[in-house]
Amino acid sequence: MIGRADIKPHRLGPVSRMTMLLQISVVFLVIGLFYLLVDISHRYSILQNGFRENAVWSIYQLDRESRKFLEALHRLAEDHDLSPASTRAAVTRYDIVYSRIKTVEQGRFDINVRADTDIAKGVMAIKALILENQPLFDQLSTGTRVPDESLARAKRNLDGLLCLTEELLTYTNNAASVYRSDTRADLSSLEMRSAVLIGLLVVCVGCLVYSLRRQLKSMQEAGTRLEAMADRLNAAYLDAEAGNRAKSQFMATMGHEVRTPLNAILGTAELLQLATLPPSIASGVGTIRRSGEALLEIINEVLDFAKIEHGNLVTETRAVDVKEVAAAAMEMIRGRAVENGNEVTLDIDPTFSGENVMTDPTRLRQVLLNLMSNAAKFTSDGVITLRLYDTKGPGGSAIRFDVRDTGIGIDPANLGRLFQPFTQGDASISRRFGGTGLGLAICKQVVERMGGRIGAESRPGEGSTFWFEIPRIACSENAGATENDLMEDGEVMSAPVPKLNVLLVEDNKINQEVATGLLRHLGQTVTIAADGLQAVSQVQAQSFDLILMDMQMPVLDGIEAAKRIRALGGRCATVPIVAMTANASDHDRQLCEDAGMDDFRSKPVSLSQLQELICSATEAQAVLPVPRIEEGDFQQRSEELVSVLGKHDFIDLLRHFFSDADGLVAELSNAIARGDFGAADRLLHSLRGAATSVCLQQLADQVQAMRERGPSDQGVSQLRDELAARRQRLAA
Amino acid sequence: MLRKSSPLLAWAGLFLFFLFSVSEAFGLDRPTGDVILTVTGNVSQTNANGRAEFDLAMLEKLKGRTATMQTPWTEGQSQFSGPLLREILAAVGATGQTLKIRALNDYVAYVPYSDGIELQTILATHLNGSPMSVRDKGPLFLIYPFDLDPSLYNEKYFSRSVWQISEIEVR
Repeated sequence: MIGRADIKPHRLGPVSRMTMLLQISVVFLVIGLFYLLVDISHRYSILQNGFRENAVWSIYQLDRESRKFLEALHRLAEDHDLSPASTRAAVTRYDIVYSRIKTVEQGRFDINVRADTDIAKGVMAIKALILENQPLFDQLSTGTRVPDESLARAKRNLDGLLCLTEELLTYTNNAASVYRSDTRADLSSLEMRSAVLIGLLVVCVGCLVYSLRRQLKSMQEAGTRLEAMADRLNAAYLDAEAGNRAKSQFMATMGHEVRTPLNAILGTAELLQLATLPPSIASGVGTIRRSGEALLEIINEVLDFAKIEHGNLVTETRAVDVKEVAAAAMEMIRGRAVENGNEVTLDIDPTFSGENVMTDPTRLRQVLLNLMSNAAKFTSDGVITLRLYDTKGPGGSAIRFDVRDTGIGIDPANLGRLFQPFTQGDASISRRFGGTGLGLAICKQVVERMGGRIGAESRPGEGSTFWFEIPRIACSENAGATENDLMEDGEVMSAPVPKLNVLLVEDNKINQEVATGLLRHLGQTVTIAADGLQAVSQVQAQSFDLILMDMQMPVLDGIEAAKRIRALGGRCATVPIVAMTANASDHDRQLCEDAGMDDFRSKPVSLSQLQELICSATEAQAVLPVPRIEEGDFQQRSEELVSVLGKHDFIDLLRHFFSDADGLVAELSNAIARGDFGAADRLLHSLRGAATSVCLQQLADQVQAMRERGPSDQGVSQLRDELAARRQRLAA
Repeated sequence: MLRKSSPLLAWAGLFLFFLFSVSEAFGLDRPTGDVILTVTGNVSQTNANGRAEFDLAMLEKLKGRTATMQTPWTEGQSQFSGPLLREILAAVGATGQTLKIRALNDYVAYVPYSDGIELQTILATHLNGSPMSVRDKGPLFLIYPFDLDPSLYNEKYFSRSVWQISEIEVR
């Protein structure tokens, strides 16, 4: 779409080269003109300041005065007129000639008479002649009588004076003519030079103007081209954007479409597991459930990434106990890690305090789970360590999470690509281990969104360390509230479930069946509405304690139905409505809240979640967490139970518990032998719930500790010992 | 003071006043030395045949000016001194528009009368403290105040700067 020809390489074109050349020429010409101007001004100042006598005129005067002087002398010497007047006249004339020769000698002239040797020689000769006769005229001026022969000698002597002055006059006149013509030539050459320079300057400026015009034109053309290119780019961008939007829409739709049947599969599998099944089928159901969960995880990952790519990743911030989040995440991963024969350890720095950190617990757990599940995936018979410590990040103090494994490691060359989407260490990895290759890209986005950073170090064959940091933002509030959020499924199991009248609004038949099955299992009375409209009429017909509302339904969707129900008033205005949807976006959450719904669950909803919902709907008793009973309290409570049930019934209850527990431990042992740690955990969970309800708190704690460590044969034998000891104490 | 003054002193004063009035009424003194300057034309004060003649002593008695300046005809800075032209014109009671100034060699320059009245023009008698002989462009040299007004330093005034002056005709 964008041709290569459109983008010209940035190089000095011929036009700009010419302009540069012209500019240089103009500079030189201006310098030349400047020198010319200086020359002219210099000449002018010489003309102005240096006054020059006219040499020809001066020498002419000398010649003239010499003539007059000789006439006066003639009267003395030839006519013998020695009267004082004639004598005086002669002396005066001599003095004038004398002053004239001095003027010629000293004066400043238009032509340099002293430099011209011929003129200088003539002047010298005249001067010598004048000076030679000085004593005579000195004598005459004092009035002394001078002998006639002296006068006659002087007359003869000075007769040659006129020849000399005439010759000098002629010569000087010629020299002056030459000088004048030279000056004229000089002037005309100056004029010529100025004319040439100015002509060149005009040519240069003309060329400059021309080349500038050309440049301007080419710039305009380039501008037009750029504009056209921008238009094309914009169009291309819009096309791409439209394609991307379509893709995102498709992803969302697909996600929904895939999650709905998956929901059904997982729910059915969970129901099947609750029934008593032959071991061979039970393990098959387990596999279905695990595979379904893995598939769900992948779908979630892909959808998450799509969301991130669209900039729709929303994080919340609240007070969180980081240690607890880390421990919970670790427990969730333990089962998978142990399957691969890995040891999992949580290494928390003694000085580390994880309480009251402002962050998003869901996202934090997501990242931790992803990094640790990667570690578990790529490590077998090794050690996976999650280390928590304080560090110094770029923006201040930070919390650092190191997930270290002793797995296959990654080639350093591939480390950089890891955090890019759709990339795995190398192509063979995806064949061997599977996965979307989106996990780390999502982690990177999430961590950066939380203001932190993420990285990895690795040595092939020795293992890898994936780390991330989030800024430590302390808060003043107590992080206690988070405990509820972090509570895992099983922890509410043992609480007694109230019997409620539940309205299930769901259009999908299978989902109806699953949800109904789960709710019946929990002892609930279930009424089904296939769409929002039915739901509204059902609510009007009878009173419900809880409404579970699907969001996307034909006829009337969940949001609208909720609004209408709320609008009915009375009991309907307050009945708890919980939204259930496969579209688990923040926007949907907001919509539900706005419609007056009380809670929101993304599908598939597990049994425990249903149980929790039922408990919270009644608000009957504190459901979460299970109150901890100390040994002392246990005494008090068991006494209470005995008084309510009667000692006999209580002991029966305990016996029942122990026989159940024996069965559970046996199953547990089997599960461990099979490597089905999920099942093992569930068994432990039930055991703990049962133990709590029969007030065996110590035993419950021990079971919980075992869950946290991960089930093992050693743990099972310890549990057996403990149960045996308890039984003996009961018998005693 | 006047009342106490003696009759003799009063008479002496009256005589002196008379003497001055007479000398003024009869015109200029007569030159005692060589005549170096003759003023002719429109002059009211004369001392010889309708002309006013001056010797060096008479000129030196008039109010003058000494100035150091550069001229095209002398080397470096030269000191000229002599009577102001306007003093000479006043002494001869001259009236007119032009001064025709003649040199010993019969060179003639026409100088506007105003040049003599408005400018501090002098007829220099001394160059660097010595009297100027004919050989040194003496005895009189019309010097414009080049030192006071540099704008005078040009050919127009150079041509009016007559040396070896012998006569001034007031027209």
